[in-house]
Amino acid sequence: MTQQEMIESLLQLINKETSTEEEFNEHALMLFAYQYENNVPYRTYCMQKGKTARTVKTWRDIPAVPINAFKELTLSCVPPEQAERVFMTSGTTKGVRGKHYHPALSVYDQSMIVNFQKRFMKEHNKIKMGILFPTEDELPNSSLAHYLALAVNVFGTEDSQYFVNRDGLDIDRLLAELEQAEQSGEPYALLGASFSFVHLFEELAKRGKTFRLPEGSRILDTGGFKNQSREMGLDEFYDTLSSFLGVPRRECINMYGMTELSTQFYDDGNGTVPSVKSGPHWIRTRVIHPLTGEEMPKGERGVLVHCDLGNFNSVTTILTEDMGVETDGGFLLLGRVQGAEAKGCSIAVEEFIRAAKGTSE
Amino acid sequence: MREYAGYLPCIGDEPIETRVLTFEKNGERVEVEVPLLTVEQLNKVVRKVKQASAQFLKSLSVTEIIDLLDRVMAQLLDRRHPYRQKAEQVLPIVTGYDEEMVRLGLTSYFKTFRKPQLQRFLVEDLENPLLLDDFQPRAKGGFSKAVGPDVIVHVWAGNVPALPLWSFISGLLVKSGMIGKVSSAEPLFAGWFARLLVEVEPKLADCLAVVWWKGGDVERERAVFGQADVVVGYGSNASLEEMQRRLPVTTRFLPFGHKVSFGLISRSCLDARKAWQAAHQAAFDIMRYDQQGCYSPHLFYVQTGGSVSPKEFARYVAHELNCFAKRFPRRPLSLEEMAAQASWRQREELGVLANKEKEVLGNEAGDWTVVYEPECRGFAASCLNRAVKIVAFDDISQVIAEIAPYRVFLQTAGVAASPKELFEWAEQLGKAGVTRITALGHMTSPEAGWHHDGRFNLRDLVQMVDIESAAEAYAEQFAPYVD
Repeated sequence: MTQQEMIESLLQLINKETSTEEEFNEHALMLFAYQYENNVPYRTYCMQKGKTARTVKTWRDIPAVPINAFKELTLSCVPPEQAERVFMTSGTTKGVRGKHYHPALSVYDQSMIVNFQKRFMKEHNKIKMGILFPTEDELPNSSLAHYLALAVNVFGTEDSQYFVNRDGLDIDRLLAELEQAEQSGEPYALLGASFSFVHLFEELAKRGKTFRLPEGSRILDTGGFKNQSREMGLDEFYDTLSSFLGVPRRECINMYGMTELSTQFYDDGNGTVPSVKSGPHWIRTRVIHPLTGEEMPKGERGVLVHCDLGNFNSVTTILTEDMGVETDGGFLLLGRVQGAEAKGCSIAVEEFIRAAKGTSE
Repeated sequence: MREYAGYLPCIGDEPIETRVLTFEKNGERVEVEVPLLTVEQLNKVVRKVKQASAQFLKSLSVTEIIDLLDRVMAQLLDRRHPYRQKAEQVLPIVTGYDEEMVRLGLTSYFKTFRKPQLQRFLVEDLENPLLLDDFQPRAKGGFSKAVGPDVIVHVWAGNVPALPLWSFISGLLVKSGMIGKVSSAEPLFAGWFARLLVEVEPKLADCLAVVWWKGGDVERERAVFGQADVVVGYGSNASLEEMQRRLPVTTRFLPFGHKVSFGLISRSCLDARKAWQAAHQAAFDIMRYDQQGCYSPHLFYVQTGGSVSPKEFARYVAHELNCFAKRFPRRPLSLEEMAAQASWRQREELGVLANKEKEVLGNEAGDWTVVYEPECRGFAASCLNRAVKIVAFDDISQVIAEIAPYRVFLQTAGVAASPKELFEWAEQLGKAGVTRITALGHMTSPEAGWHHDGRFNLRDLVQMVDIESAAEAYAEQFAPYVD
């Protein structure tokens, strides 16, 4: 199958209401065969795991690639220079950034749009947006910047605006905007990185200001704090969000996405946390035992593996470093797997890396 | 099952708050009640210990103290003794380590604290142990005496069962009052040891205290550290730094930070027979306490040019680890630890794609991992819990270049080499920062009297008092019998 045919078949799948297990499987196996054939490092990886197109019978058998591999290998079925866009991870450790090559953004975009409409916009078609993240021009390799650009371009009203630039949060302009939104009575949507909201909280606290955004307003945060702001507990975060902006916690949606994926997960508000996350019918998630790779029984903690049919050019199935538990209708995200702290006198990897940085600087 | 941790001297009848720590392994559960003293109570404890040890402990001769310890060790070595039985039964649940591993570990550990070993321990550090009892003549003239602190505070780690014994016994040998803070990971053994000591010599009752608080408790640490003469701390550099911040500048701090150890195998050991033996011993060092000790190896450097190649040696080690996994199963890991393990292993597996010579060996259940690296490419810490790297090298200089940047973290090197190489390598390893060189298979059981992290166990605790020859001569003129 050619790349173009595959893209078309995927777009069709995305536009359908649901997919059966059979359809999902069929697509996943088709993509696996294509990637096994065209993505040489991936093929080597599969062979090392003893998996070939012949032994992989269902989407569950597809070898999951650890997200670290996006840093070390070129995972692409086309030569990387042919990619229309490369999304890169933020590269917090060692400065090596994971790269995700997209020969065409049509699948990514369609995946985002259909899913965003359903999970964030719901019955609305347009809403005025404020974006707490830099633009796509400023961060051309950021998948989140592209995601938010799509949100604004497709679903934002004309007068939607960005409030973060290279110098950080443009707080005065943002406060003026929020004030105006409050008075207008029209629903308003604020979207951005979770850490930007923490910066906003700090400013609002300093100025002793709160808002009561009109009914129907909503908030989307994503990405955690990434050492860009102070860490907050989920309850504290959504309580603060709700009390500073007057948006009920059930209207505060968290998007869980990754540079290594082409599809996002959402919850249905954060009235209670951790909230149940789920994705659309072209992505499936398994919760596995980190050492044996076996699926954990429903309700038990494990590591998340996502099989995303939107990832037609890289690898469909990725092994995350996120801990989660399967529940009815999705999974609970329990945060990133932290390197367990050594309890004794033998040095732990994390400490060693920190120390090694210290000594080599 | 409920156990009571800690040991307190008599500070009156007031009620003492406790916390319950819960441990579970394979369906067995132990609740450990630890005493959590208020700052005021802690102050009372310190005062009591200071007073009692000044009166009693300091009056004992070092020989008497050794005899006491020897009697306690005899009890601990007796497998029918209730405390020994309790240790064998409870410590595996608390620490998670395999029962047999704990049992064998305890025996070999307790053996290092019997009378002859302790005598050696003393001589090692002080040459003349009587220095602790009396002024002893010096070769240069004059006299000296070693005086132990009034109170030593120990902050112990819980990685290896019974580990606090090293510093506990060192403190007793210098006749110091002892306050030990146990770790939440293994809060029991130090308290049992204190109780046994008091059973053997009831007059020690108020000379010791084994307490608990949550590590980093500013208020309690300030209070207790402020009254100590010496604080001995075990932990990560970050937590040691925190501790240090809470110490008055006049208090001596002896920090034992986290360390990295490794093995070094010469081609002279790599023939068909000896290589198996070395692999067995290397695997033993890896298996012992699942690499949680500072002396546990993170990696083995294996020389090329022997009749067994480093890659084959890696496979030997893998085989041996697989055997050990059955005989001494690894302790159950938390999901976080398993994930750290998996992520370390995945990173190495990805490395194989870049270098076909590299190899990652492991079993399905992930009980152990051996990574073979065909060349030196930077010293790296293992994720522990039986994960090890075998790295090929040609010349010792490659190894030295690799470890040298980490000199402050280096501790033990397990060496398999010919006598000539042993001394040549030891010279270079020592220069690079290694403080202990031992045989493979012995990495996790240091000899009595070893120099922990290159330091003196006892000498660092005491202060010397000199009577200079001038003072002695001067005194003569004031003698009542002077002519």
